[in-house]
Amino acid sequence: MWLWYDWQAAAVADDDGIIHDQAVWDGFFDQRALIERLHCIANGGLTQEAMLLHDRFPDAKPLIHGDEQLPEADWPLPSDEALQAADKAATEMARQGVALAAGDPDKRLEHLLRASDEMRATFLTMEARLVEWVGLFLPEVRFGKDRSSLPKQVGEADSLATLASKLSVSMPEKGPSKSEWKTLREWGESTATFRGKLDRLENAIRELSESHLPSLSIMLGPLLAARLCVEAHGRMRLARLPAGTVQVLGAEKAFFNHLKTGAAPPKHGHIFMHPWISRSPRWVRGKIARTIAAKASIAAKVDAFEGEPWSQSMVDEIDAKIESIKAANPKPKRRQR
Amino acid sequence: MLSWAVRLEGRALWSENADVGVAVYGESLRNFGGTEYRRWDPSRSKLGAGIMRTKRDKSLLLPEEGSTVLYLGAGHGTSISHLHDHLCGADNDLGGRLVAVDLAPRCLRDLTHLAKTRPGLVPVLGDARKHSAWGVLLPRKVNWLFQDVAQSGQVEIFIKACQRFLNVGGIGLLSLKAASERWTGEGEDVLFGKVEEQLVENGFAVEESIKLTGYEDNHVLFVTRRVE
Repeated sequence: MWLWYDWQAAAVADDDGIIHDQAVWDGFFDQRALIERLHCIANGGLTQEAMLLHDRFPDAKPLIHGDEQLPEADWPLPSDEALQAADKAATEMARQGVALAAGDPDKRLEHLLRASDEMRATFLTMEARLVEWVGLFLPEVRFGKDRSSLPKQVGEADSLATLASKLSVSMPEKGPSKSEWKTLREWGESTATFRGKLDRLENAIRELSESHLPSLSIMLGPLLAARLCVEAHGRMRLARLPAGTVQVLGAEKAFFNHLKTGAAPPKHGHIFMHPWISRSPRWVRGKIARTIAAKASIAAKVDAFEGEPWSQSMVDEIDAKIESIKAANPKPKRRQR
Repeated sequence: MLSWAVRLEGRALWSENADVGVAVYGESLRNFGGTEYRRWDPSRSKLGAGIMRTKRDKSLLLPEEGSTVLYLGAGHGTSISHLHDHLCGADNDLGGRLVAVDLAPRCLRDLTHLAKTRPGLVPVLGDARKHSAWGVLLPRKVNWLFQDVAQSGQVEIFIKACQRFLNVGGIGLLSLKAASERWTGEGEDVLFGKVEEQLVENGFAVEESIKLTGYEDNHVLFVTRRVE
């Protein structure tokens, strides 16, 4: 015995395709109920009619319409009217699914991160140009490490003389023309606004990353956590990656070059950005990268399956472990001949 | 004329616009004898490219108007819109049904938009491999099925989908992207040959394999007929 069902009907037939009983649902004018049924079927559930017939014929095997095992029979297929209602419902479901995608933090994080990368690149070129440009007119100016205040200073100065006195250098013999100075000042202004926009963008990433990837964020910092998640194409996919892949995520070029030519494999990808690796001596970086990748992989799994987020004590534990790796390898290994 | 709605003028392919005045993807619109047509850009649509390149009867690639068809890997709706012109016509006068399945919400965004003005187009957000999730929308098997999913295992997906949804004697079109298959052997021609063998073994007659080079590199469109 077989129990056939689709979204609007169910029927019981024997091996010869003779129908013994059937139940048809005619409430398809209610789109919400119809959508509910289509969702139920998509998740592998039984409809009310199917359950009713299943109670009456417990030994009939329930199978969805179209299953290969079902015999040929005159199943109660939907009428044209019902089919049109189903088409409308399917379209509405597609629309709902698309709307749902806007709530997907993976997709939001990707846009935020890519936007911040693009904005950072723009900001750095603008800032570099500004430094060179001001340096041309005021050759005495020396910018130390801190040139971050320059855009604001240029933007606020009303003439080159004001700027020169602010930077406490003398005026050059030949200055810019009026219109030239105006563009230079505006360039400074825009550079300063870009700085502010970049900061706000990164704050938005931090905020989202800390809620979407709490454990990974507390371990590696929210920005690096976000980058790993985006690079892995989503949180669930990151959680399913082996630690070795997490380790070289972002070093694809070197990694595939290694596979292709047999060159040395990369020791670290994006995780290099973390001071645990970048501030450690060269010869322990590979070892530390392995440890961090393994821990990051666990953290990603905790986040993806929404477990208890890690606390600072967990991070301190990892930190102690990394210190012990450093302590065990105080000197580079001697090259073997 | 290839069908009531699709015509070949010189080297360009046109389809009668079912949504007059609207260009779907920036294609040009033109009047032929008082009726508006949209230009079918073969470098944006693999179905269009196949129609341009086929050496056999061009209308073989199009489904019967007013029928129900299944399109897996719908994308942004470039091919879909022209197919809809042919299958349904304005306000779905012909009563066609075009079930378009795609996995990416980004693609469905464009498709749901298209479906608003084109009745008969049914966009489905779902996996082309998970038949049980959306198969109930097709109570009967279809006579025309198109698949364009750029992922590995395309051929297996196509064979399974045809066994489930395509009538014996129906036409199944498979757009195969060589780069999506894991193949480290002798080259694309060998790969395409293997695919053809695989199709024949699974009960398909390969009517034609159309290389789309020039429109879409490294792609072949297989025109198959299900024989068993």
